[in-house]
Amino acid sequence: MSKLNILFKEARKNKKKIFIGFVTSGDPNYNSSKEIIKEMTKSCQIIEAGISFNTSTSDSPIIMEANDRAINSGMNMNKTFKLIKEVKRETNTNTCFVIMTYLNPVKIFGIKKFINQCNFVGIDGVIIVDSNLNSPEEKILINSLSKNKIGYIKIISPTNDDEFIKQSIKNCRDSWLYITSYYGLTGSKNVNINNVKMMIKRVRKYSKEIPVAVGFGVKTPSQVKQVSKYADGVICGSTIVNKVAEGHKKRLKGKKLATFVSSYVKKLSKGIRK
Amino acid sequence: MRIPPFKEINPPTKDGFWINKKTNEKFGGQYISPLLVPNLKRVEKGFYKALKDKKFLKELNEELLSFIGVNTPIHFSPELTKLAGGEKKIGKIYLKRTDLHTNHSHKPVSAYSSCKLAKYLGFKKILTETGAFQNGRAVASACAALGLDLDIYVGAKDAKKLAINKDISALHGANIIEVHDSTKSLLPAMAAALRAFQSEPDSMYVVGSVAGPHPYPLMVRTFGSVIGRITKKQFKNLVGKDPSTIFSVCGGGSNMLCISYPYIKTKNTKIYAVESAGKGLKTGKHGATIGGGGKMGILLGMQSKVLLDGENIAESFTEASGLDFSSIGTEVAYLQSIGRIKFLTATDLEAKKTFMMMARKVGLICAIEACYVIHAAIKEIRKIGKPKQNHLIHLCGAGEPNVAQMMEHMKKNK
Repeated sequence: MSKLNILFKEARKNKKKIFIGFVTSGDPNYNSSKEIIKEMTKSCQIIEAGISFNTSTSDSPIIMEANDRAINSGMNMNKTFKLIKEVKRETNTNTCFVIMTYLNPVKIFGIKKFINQCNFVGIDGVIIVDSNLNSPEEKILINSLSKNKIGYIKIISPTNDDEFIKQSIKNCRDSWLYITSYYGLTGSKNVNINNVKMMIKRVRKYSKEIPVAVGFGVKTPSQVKQVSKYADGVICGSTIVNKVAEGHKKRLKGKKLATFVSSYVKKLSKGIRK
Repeated sequence: MRIPPFKEINPPTKDGFWINKKTNEKFGGQYISPLLVPNLKRVEKGFYKALKDKKFLKELNEELLSFIGVNTPIHFSPELTKLAGGEKKIGKIYLKRTDLHTNHSHKPVSAYSSCKLAKYLGFKKILTETGAFQNGRAVASACAALGLDLDIYVGAKDAKKLAINKDISALHGANIIEVHDSTKSLLPAMAAALRAFQSEPDSMYVVGSVAGPHPYPLMVRTFGSVIGRITKKQFKNLVGKDPSTIFSVCGGGSNMLCISYPYIKTKNTKIYAVESAGKGLKTGKHGATIGGGGKMGILLGMQSKVLLDGENIAESFTEASGLDFSSIGTEVAYLQSIGRIKFLTATDLEAKKTFMMMARKVGLICAIEACYVIHAAIKEIRKIGKPKQNHLIHLCGAGEPNVAQMMEHMKKNK
């Protein structure tokens, strides 16, 4: 059983919910990003680290700008692995780490090498936004991630049909199903609770077991609280990345920037229903 | 002339891949976020339905003939023939004049057809992107004619360069959105349009090239192949046989594929594509995906040949906005990989010199994009150096938008 599996299983048993924080790795640069992620381990049970791709087709302007900052500071796949490894070593944390990226960076890095590195660093799960359910790479990813007990997270949205939801549940491995609370871009609107309830109901038609976490538009502690009433986990992304941008504009660096961001993340995480 | 019916002679797999069986390289696909899946499904289903709907096709063909004026001439060019070495040495050079379409480029054919499809499927609004504003203008005119709203995404760098077509698009009522992401050119403009498509499922995305996720490459070449279908018939009527060569310029590859598609299985016709070598291939500042050694990559929902910068997409460079693209269309990349299309390049400077030559010796103001192909074609035809050949060059756009840029060039080089 993967670490993500255990985390969600234990949480469900104890009627607790999981807080997941997303941040772009290397934003605004390697050192500051490392400090931010180190601090975030104190309030996130799962950290989703985004690996930038300069032609991403699903990110909001907030995350696009973070991608640009990270790429301009020289960030890439290799450095992300190094950063997470250092964070883990320096914090001795229990927090799970998930990588979120696009297929191009993974294929150029090499799928096999990518999975080896995930294993070596101790990455618990992977999200590849543009790996379609039928793409030739999907089967390879599912098989090799499973073999290595690394979670494979699939995303579904309110406009997807039941066939797609069924197939996404099937392709998901040792992790959770990521539900977007609306169609559109990350962080571009506010969370839609009716959609959340409806989507969870649709998922439960096909699987009682699979954990579901909801993201897109969750920006305040009260929204976190609201969503965690229904979902196993809550994902905050753009709002955290926005905080990084805000601190960066104020010329905060390293530990100061990390404290600025993480105190905000801590507030968000407190919204989780205990 | 009536438009010859479409025949599928190079179908992709049902998932939208063209597969090179020797190398197992797969070109195409649908590499998109799950949020875009329903939108693409709707377009794909609608496209196949429309292709079978005789009433839709009849109406579309009539409007392409009357409104777009697709029956543009092919004519012998004595000046270019002479320039390449004379009829005795190289045969004859002909020009296909898609610059004479309504809106002055090859783009209106697929643009109008795609917008017509959108209307047929009940969409009220179109999203598109543009580089040289040829597509932007063509879609803007189509939307005005068909009563559709339109958002055009354009790289901020391109928006500054091509003021006339931008203004014309605005006069047609298009809403123009400048994209300030990464390179501020066609690539981020296309990514922005795809992102908008994800947020607005009630709008239909119209692609300006044979690129993007399935079914777009298939759709644009199927609609655009009207140009090639007419060309094949016209050329046979004019010359008595198929051309020995067809030369077209290639950014994403829409004009190249749309004219060459009906010739894919015509063994006696060699197909050439010309990319922009920008400041020169060796300088690294170019827009030549194939000429510059592009590799397989995934971007904008497709797998194709791409210029890479580490794990990211590299910036292309050329003064011709229509060629400023770090990748090429999926079917184009496939046909290149199996050796069906030969790729050549021309530099920005060579294109500008050709622009002046065409203005002074031939009497035509060509789109700067078309000047890359004219330059490279003449060079290649000289190299072939065989009499009794019939060469066809695709003159795919008029040069009004480039006038200011070329006036500067003329002043500098006096």
